[in-house]
Amino acid sequence: MAQTTVQPPPEAGSARVLPSRAGRPRRSAERSRTRFAYWLIAPAVAFMVLIHLLPTTAGFLLSFKRLNTFTFAQLFDAPWTGLDNYSGILFDEANPLRSGFFGAVQNTVVYTFWTVGLTLGLGLAIALLLNREMRGMRLVRTLMLTPWIVPSFVVAVLWQFMWQSDVGIINKVLVDYTHLLGERPIWLLGENSMWAIVIPSVWRGIPFAMIFFLAGLQAMPRELHEAAAIDGAGPIKRFRYITFPLLRPLIAIQLLFGVIYAAYQFAIPYIMLGTNPGPDADLMMTLIYRQSFQNNLFGFGAAASTLLMIAMFVWVLVWYRAFKRDLEAVT
Amino acid sequence: MPRRLAVALSAIALLVAPTALVACGGDDEPDNQAATGSKTEQLQKGVTLTLWTMPNSPKPKEDLQKMVEPFTAKTGVKVDVQEVGWDVQFDRIRNAAVSGEGPDVTQAGTTQVPFFAALGGFMDLSDRVEDIGGKDAYAEGIWNTTQVQGQDGTWAIPWFTEARSLYYRKDVLEKAGVDPATAFKDLDSFKATLQAIKEKVPDIEPFGAPGKKAYDLVHQVMPFVWDNGGAELSEDASKSTINSPEAQAGVQFMADLIPEGLFDKSQLERDGTQVENQFKGGRLAVWIGGPWVLGSIERPEDDTWDETARENVGVAPMPTGPQGEAYTFVGGSDLMIFKHTKYPNEAWALVKFLSEDQTQIDYAELLGMFPARLEPQQQVGESSENHKAFFEAIQSGRTYAPIPQWGQIENAYKTRFGNILDSAAGVGKAYSEATVKAQLDAAAKEADGLLAQSAG
Repeated sequence: MAQTTVQPPPEAGSARVLPSRAGRPRRSAERSRTRFAYWLIAPAVAFMVLIHLLPTTAGFLLSFKRLNTFTFAQLFDAPWTGLDNYSGILFDEANPLRSGFFGAVQNTVVYTFWTVGLTLGLGLAIALLLNREMRGMRLVRTLMLTPWIVPSFVVAVLWQFMWQSDVGIINKVLVDYTHLLGERPIWLLGENSMWAIVIPSVWRGIPFAMIFFLAGLQAMPRELHEAAAIDGAGPIKRFRYITFPLLRPLIAIQLLFGVIYAAYQFAIPYIMLGTNPGPDADLMMTLIYRQSFQNNLFGFGAAASTLLMIAMFVWVLVWYRAFKRDLEAVT
Repeated sequence: MPRRLAVALSAIALLVAPTALVACGGDDEPDNQAATGSKTEQLQKGVTLTLWTMPNSPKPKEDLQKMVEPFTAKTGVKVDVQEVGWDVQFDRIRNAAVSGEGPDVTQAGTTQVPFFAALGGFMDLSDRVEDIGGKDAYAEGIWNTTQVQGQDGTWAIPWFTEARSLYYRKDVLEKAGVDPATAFKDLDSFKATLQAIKEKVPDIEPFGAPGKKAYDLVHQVMPFVWDNGGAELSEDASKSTINSPEAQAGVQFMADLIPEGLFDKSQLERDGTQVENQFKGGRLAVWIGGPWVLGSIERPEDDTWDETARENVGVAPMPTGPQGEAYTFVGGSDLMIFKHTKYPNEAWALVKFLSEDQTQIDYAELLGMFPARLEPQQQVGESSENHKAFFEAIQSGRTYAPIPQWGQIENAYKTRFGNILDSAAGVGKAYSEATVKAQLDAAAKEADGLLAQSAG
């Protein structure tokens, strides 16, 4: 990783020798440089506050309000309800929305596990395959990136048609052409609907993981592999003891972003399965969207959003503890 | 440095999280002052009204803009027609009503009116409705869509109407040896007709309806519930009755068609428009649809039609239930005037113009819908046999209780109806009477929770 701390200027050393004469101008120059740096980051900070911090704070505030059909017009003036929205979601057996919430939590965990696991696993496998010199490799690498440039909306629409049980290409291949299956499975309903959203998500995510790993593989010193090969290490041992440990920091970063991105996934399930994907594929984001924007239960939606954000915060802490050493090793 | 890097990465990762739940709406109080004003005031020439419309016709903005040209010529009041997609109209109308910033007049779905009215951002039109003939000028079910149960006031004016009827293929019925006059007379003959199609015309699916992805799944199921004597809510709209034995019998009648091989289960993966296209494409023999499909038969540019299907469309009223009554869902769109409008008289004049008989006939014809007013409705109903079926359906049509929470309750029902149809299709929980009952109990429980919402 590149060093990002601002280095002291070369004259700073000599200034230390003559504190009485050069102290004030040095401090003033530093201050003006610092001020300049603040000005440079100010637009980004203002943007972040406006786009992320304010809505997040407002959402957090709304999670303590009784914001429903009858109070929507009051918005931030809606009555305070303390922790009712949270306790309703987490502990109130009589709350009809509770079962849907826990189902969505479970589905989100399953979706995230498979999406991130398969994306990273397949991304790494393809990167290893493409990390060699051969004719046409550049073309192959470029083609492998294609799913990445397709917008999520288009991915979801395409796969929705491909999954259709009667006329979709997937069942045509599995049933009509290859006869691998006797009956036409229904992909967009029931338990299969989870796979119907995991697979397109993985398909779209693989190129990014692949190119990330490929960059890491190409930056690896060849001598390590050559030396290990001379010592008799086979490809599996070389992968286990050289490649994989050196890729751990890259895996760490992909895991961090991958899990957060998957937990907040909305476009693919929403477009493929609608606002209510059913008990087998209803994710946290589709549940929050439905309860907030369709059912006007904004207090409930805001509380569920906050719980999801806390879960992500915990994940970041866990991640940091798990990969602290790897991140230190690369800098 | 490494710690800083990790912390920075964590912070960025957290910030990319989409937590902007509050991005909709503003917190300003609606400006109510402009909403008053005498109806006898002269109209201000040269002012421009903004009218929000949804994609009702092939060119929604242009078609409606052309439709209001005579109004501008007559009154000097200009109209800026703006198109708002169905996918965002609910959010945008709600936000406009709350923030006080938006158009002067908007189209709203009939079942949405009570919720919008409850926001307090719309004009009560009670003292003006006599200008257009009052409630007597409309069928009872349609007029009910302008009211809120338990509250005085008229919050909308019906604009155009639709009802659901059975579409069928005349050629398929002929091959199956079924007389169209009696094919869909009651629930038993309906099922017998589908059975005959299944046995004698194997190259077409007898029947299909969309699953939970469709916005109108509840409109498809409820006619069977009503036919069996069930209802969505108690009469005072204080309690859900969707788990009553009558309602269960209705839901089960529809779901049973799937394991019996009369209802193509692959249609459950599709939304309403996709299933409509399956009928138009000649893959379904019978389908429940609205009058707009009749209009599309005459449009040669609509290439979703299979030519044989296009030439053989028949329409029949929904079948009667064991109690001898036939019910269907009647809906459509109403017009609402925002309280914040600076031009309440001009806005009302526009609504009045859009309620004139000839304007209603012209616009409804363009849309393939029915006029909302009785007289023009009757004229359109007499234009063909198929239109007559729809006219009759509208007269016996039912709508849902006009309460602000209806939209939410409809969503809860949609989820459970979808689960029931899925299990009947062999996915999810095993299909049985107990499964249907459990799902309807859950729907009723959720609906009761939603009914218990309050402002306090």
